[in-house]
Amino acid sequence: MSDQERILKFQIFRYNPQKKGDKPRMVTYEVKEAVGMTIFIALNDIREQQDPSLQFDFVCRAGICGSCAMVVNGSPTLACRTMTSTFKDGLIKLLPLPGFELIGDLSVNTGKFMRAMSERVESWIHDRNADKVNFEKLEERMDPDVADEIYELERCVECGCCVSACATKRMRPDFLSAVGFMRLARFSLDPRDKRSDEDFYEIMGDDDGVFGCMTLLGCEDYCPKDLPHQTQIAYLRRKMVLVK
Amino acid sequence: MKVIYTDSLVIGGGLAGLRVAIASMQRGYDTIVLSLVPAKRSHSAAAQGGMQASLGATVKGDGDDEEVHFGDTVRGSDWGCDQDVARMFVNTAPKAIRQLTAWGVPWSRVSAGDREVVMNGKKVTITEKKEAHGLISSRDFGGTKKWRTCFTSDGTGHTMLYSMDNKAIQMGIPVHERKEAIALIHEGGVCYGAIVRDLITGELMAYVAKATTIATGGYGRLYAITTNSVISEGIGNAIALETGIATLGNMEAVQFHPTAIVPVGILTTEGCRGDGGLLLDKDGYRFMPDYEPDKKELASRDVVSRRILEHMRKGKGVASRYGDHIWLDITLLGRKHIEKNLREVKEICEYFLGIDPAKEYIPVRPTQHYSMGGIRTKATGESQTLKGLFAAGEASCWDLHGFNRLGGNSVAETVVAGMIVGEFVADYCAQNPLNVSGTTIEYFMKQEEQKITDLLTRDSGENPFELKVQMQKIMMDDVGIFRNAKDLEKAVEELKVLNQRAKNIALRNRISSSNPELVEAIRVPKMIKVAQCIAYGAMLRTESRGAHSREDYPARNDKDWLKRTLTTWKDDSTGLPEVTYEDLDIMKMELPPASRGYGVDNTVHHPDTARREAQIEEIKKANPGADRFKLQELLNPIPIPEKFKGKNERIGRGFK
Amino acid sequence: MDDYIIESNQKKSRMPARLDFAQSGTGLILGLFMWVHMLLVGSIIFGKGSFNFVAKTMELAFLSDTGHGFPIAVFFAVFIVFTLFIIHALLGVRKFPISWKQHRILRDQMQMMNHSDTTLWYIQVVTGFLMFFAGSVHLYIMLTHPDIDPFISADRIISGNMWPLYLILLICVELHGTIGLYRLCMKWGWFAGKDAKKSRQTMKKMKNRATIFFLTIGILALLVFIVIGIKHRDRVGEKYNNHAAVVEQVQADEAIPVKEEIQALEEGQEKEAAHEPEAIQPSDVTKQYGVT
Ligand SMILES: Cc1cc2nc3c(=O)[nH]c(=O)nc-3n(C[C@H](O)[C@H](O)[C@H](O)COP(=O)(O)OP(=O)(O)OC[C@H]3O[C@@H](n4cnc5c(N)ncnc54)[C@H](O)[C@@H]3O)c2cc1C
Ligand code: HEM
Ligand code: HEM
Ligand code: SF4
Ligand code: F3S
Ligand code: FES
Repeated sequence: MSDQERILKFQIFRYNPQKKGDKPRMVTYEVKEAVGMTIFIALNDIREQQDPSLQFDFVCRAGICGSCAMVVNGSPTLACRTMTSTFKDGLIKLLPLPGFELIGDLSVNTGKFMRAMSERVESWIHDRNADKVNFEKLEERMDPDVADEIYELERCVECGCCVSACATKRMRPDFLSAVGFMRLARFSLDPRDKRSDEDFYEIMGDDDGVFGCMTLLGCEDYCPKDLPHQTQIAYLRRKMVLVK
Repeated sequence: MKVIYTDSLVIGGGLAGLRVAIASMQRGYDTIVLSLVPAKRSHSAAAQGGMQASLGATVKGDGDDEEVHFGDTVRGSDWGCDQDVARMFVNTAPKAIRQLTAWGVPWSRVSAGDREVVMNGKKVTITEKKEAHGLISSRDFGGTKKWRTCFTSDGTGHTMLYSMDNKAIQMGIPVHERKEAIALIHEGGVCYGAIVRDLITGELMAYVAKATTIATGGYGRLYAITTNSVISEGIGNAIALETGIATLGNMEAVQFHPTAIVPVGILTTEGCRGDGGLLLDKDGYRFMPDYEPDKKELASRDVVSRRILEHMRKGKGVASRYGDHIWLDITLLGRKHIEKNLREVKEICEYFLGIDPAKEYIPVRPTQHYSMGGIRTKATGESQTLKGLFAAGEASCWDLHGFNRLGGNSVAETVVAGMIVGEFVADYCAQNPLNVSGTTIEYFMKQEEQKITDLLTRDSGENPFELKVQMQKIMMDDVGIFRNAKDLEKAVEELKVLNQRAKNIALRNRISSSNPELVEAIRVPKMIKVAQCIAYGAMLRTESRGAHSREDYPARNDKDWLKRTLTTWKDDSTGLPEVTYEDLDIMKMELPPASRGYGVDNTVHHPDTARREAQIEEIKKANPGADRFKLQELLNPIPIPEKFKGKNERIGRGFK
Repeated sequence: MDDYIIESNQKKSRMPARLDFAQSGTGLILGLFMWVHMLLVGSIIFGKGSFNFVAKTMELAFLSDTGHGFPIAVFFAVFIVFTLFIIHALLGVRKFPISWKQHRILRDQMQMMNHSDTTLWYIQVVTGFLMFFAGSVHLYIMLTHPDIDPFISADRIISGNMWPLYLILLICVELHGTIGLYRLCMKWGWFAGKDAKKSRQTMKKMKNRATIFFLTIGILALLVFIVIGIKHRDRVGEKYNNHAAVVEQVQADEAIPVKEEIQALEEGQEKEAAHEPEAIQPSDVTKQYGVT
């Protein structure tokens, strides 16, 4: 990293739907770059120094919680771990994630979407005995490799990048979308979940489900946690097409 | 006026809050969870390293049980913890983890046969038992005698929180997101819910409940550099404090984690050292064995943090534009291990430092990490002074951790406290009718409305962002790892001034709906108050205990200070909180105070210590046939709910 | 709180699964068919003789298999392909951005992200749309005039003014088909191997090469047809030779029916060219023709 200071130009989408008469627009802010600066630092800088009304969401600021996804120069990604130094021309254009309810400026309501998704795919272990498990006894064994594989899929942080990166989802609002597929893949892999393929078909066996996915692979290419969307959606599709 | 009624109101959607909500819902009480952010984004998700529970499935955990866990926890707390609570905790932790297993957490499992691990800088082969194959594995963590920290790679908190929230969703527990509790409603010494602001619309609402649980996490953001999330601002503690009735306990007990990356303060988990990582100085020299020949890098967190600072003060730190740091070396663990078990660490290094931790050292420095202090509760989780107010998780001072908590004991606490406190919350709901008067609700509502109106109409005044930065700087510089009278007195004075200035905040963006500046303006005065509790408590405590380390009083002083700090703020117009103390009764301790085994023992002992030791010997002699369960009951009978009384099974020894 | 998912006994229709499978199945057959088709049509590059030989060889295969005459066989084949084509198109149309709004969103999304696989899909949609017309015309002609002959074909192209349509169709089908086959692999997880991300890179490269390869063949073929067509402008309707003679000749000595001298190609090359399609074509094509 060089010591020379740059002036970064942030072009930021501004719109507050709560405010009467407000209209969507792009506003440019200039920020002096610091070494190791992330978009998280820069946006806070703008809010504190220039415009206290600027809305955005950060929680962990460490790329862990999935709060801060936005479209950075055309890529849906986690803003908190995006270093400003990666943009050679110092021009950074920020848009809120498309496909979600806009709260204001760069803040979108991913939480509401994700809860609905979880309810739709019934994102929990289906085992009628789960609540009767005797927790004084040894836990049920699990193959160490299976546990690792489940964790691979469980790493999703519900950031919504895959949802915004999917043109199918944007054209068809009811489309389950990749984050839902990842969740389903996770549970169908889990031996503790007693759902059968037929049960899963009820959730995703239609054109709003896995058969609606047109394999655009935006999900795969923009997932900040590198989840294996392509192989897993293919796996689900093969599984579902075989359901009698 | 929008009023929402429920039985059990839980403020906080992290691990602790959700678990309490699940407990009260399971018992059939109407439950609502409030959260600033979607529950799955709560700070619990950031816990990487693991959860302590004495399952003892790996060979290195062989022989582990409740007794060993108990000893580690009490010693780790520097005898500051509540031993009843520690007892309930260690007995319930195995149950908690097994329940979470049934709910879906994909814990890393034991794989039978040989595997290579790094211990004390060397590669060693250990052989896992065949019978243990497929059981929950565990790793080494600081301050523990056994490998007890169960984990899922280094995304433990994430997987725990996801399973917990999924369970809550399954049960249909409503989580009202983007809602901030800004005041508690109380009448006649009983709490009845909270005044809540919708962070999107700005609307104020009253959530009226029989039992109110605060599970709002820690207050790391009172410090300039912290591993905590940006929402860990101690608002839950503040609203309890502002009742003037509820007390905060041990607020000066603030933990610094030895290894957060420089400069941003993002944590690299203790798992790095647990798995064999080393700390090196500017000469690439491993210095910890010089200070702590016994536990080396894996001494308790407070100890390691202080040793690092000591070493840096000797000029051995690596100079950088952000001040000195030292190196964390995990290259010796090998790429395969890092990519499998320390993935998040790898990602963090790549994205925030631009380095490959399998090849390069990580620049780290001790950084604010955990708040042992919080809302003081009884062992049931209920406030000692404000009925109907419960607290759980990092926001509470249930007092499992005393003056220093062990790594991995915190997420374990959230879940265990959630289970236990949740039962008492449900009991409370069963036993108490909701009879709060409409005027009381209205009174609190009006009060908050007025404050917001004042903020929105004041023409000129202080900038909330600036006040916050100043407060954070004071805390960082003067109420940090090493403390002394001079700095602390300065901090107390300066914070007092900030407190006054915070009464005069004016906004540039004057809209009442979603408005980050208004959010800040509501929070900052609260945060300053909490900061004052910490600084003031630290100034008054003239001893060193756990994470509270006074340069001018380096000894632990059981004689005068074996007591818990209690802080209240009865009168808003005074510039300082009121501090009182609660004695810890050695004569009831299962494990009387002793040396923690770090450095020279210069403890000033309490006369009761020897008496209690003798008494314990007597009890043991009088009951020669007593097994460990019987003995525990004799020494430390605990009020644990019936559900969690059973013994825990372990491989190789059954329920023994 | 209950953990049954099926509240009612009404099960979800299996139709979407079938349709998705059919879309892929028809796509796969059409895609592979087009590769073969392109190689066959491409034989014109090596001369009218090769083209003629290929065409007649195919007919021969049919003759000996079924004992029926050749027009019915080609008619039959075209009919099957046409049916697949229509089924595939109808299934494909379901995926189109039907409303203007959807189309706008799609464009907007593409502009925002500039994501290659999304763009590829858009190309499929556009080319599919164009083929709907262009392909139908071609197939209709082949259905009504199942007459494959270098001169007839060339005349169709020049004197029948079909070349613009063929050019469009060619570009469309090559883009659409190869992208489609790549997408098929992604969609069903074929050839993923150990490292799926790497395999995807490889397949994308192969896809690009296939597109270039077949486009080159197609354009060369079209050029040759155009040249032949222009030269043959004043003899429209005349056939290259009568097919029985060729059959005899082939049966007799497997000689290559070279009569024209327009092309100055060497004999060895010709032999190769004549055998090459043979090696690929008989089994695949006859299977398709016979089975589907
Ligand atoms: C980086 C990091 C790593 C860690 N790693 C480990 C580890 O490996 N092992 C371990 O045992 N511990 C670890 N810890 C500690 C542990 O993660 C936390 O102590 C624990 O998760 C706290 O959980 P909680 O439920 O109490 O609070 P949190 O998870 O912080 O949840 C707080 C909740 O309260 C809500 N809230 C806050 N204020 C309000 C308000 N005013 N109104 C409404 N809602 C509000 C928030 O939205 C949130 O939902 C780590 C901590 C950090 C910072
Ligand atoms: C009228 C003509 C056609 C239309 C409208 C059409 C339309 C489409 C559409 C929209 C898709 C994408 C389906 C999806 O994303 O799920 C598709 C896929 C495909 N098409 Fe076509 N197509 C036509 C003709 C052809 C032809 C002639 C071929 C042969 C080369 C072909 C080969 C394929 C293949 C291989 C796929 C991939 C199959 C899949 O994704 O399931 N198509 N087509
Ligand atoms: C069984 C069905 C088919 C038969 C028998 C057939 C036959 C032919 C023949 C004989 C030609 C040479 C030109 C001519 O005679 O007009 C030709 C050219 C062509 N066909 Fe087909 N075809 C079939 C199906 C298709 C389909 C489904 C498509 C794509 C949608 C297609 C696309 C083309 C193109 C693009 C050309 C021009 C190639 C060039 O000149 O490079 N054909 N076809
Ligand atoms: S699958 Fe990936 S992109 Fe999608 S929500 Fe999860 S982490 Fe984000
Ligand atoms: S981007 Fe969308 S269409 Fe399918 S492959 Fe991913 S969900
Ligand atoms: S703020 Fe948590 S991922 Fe960016």
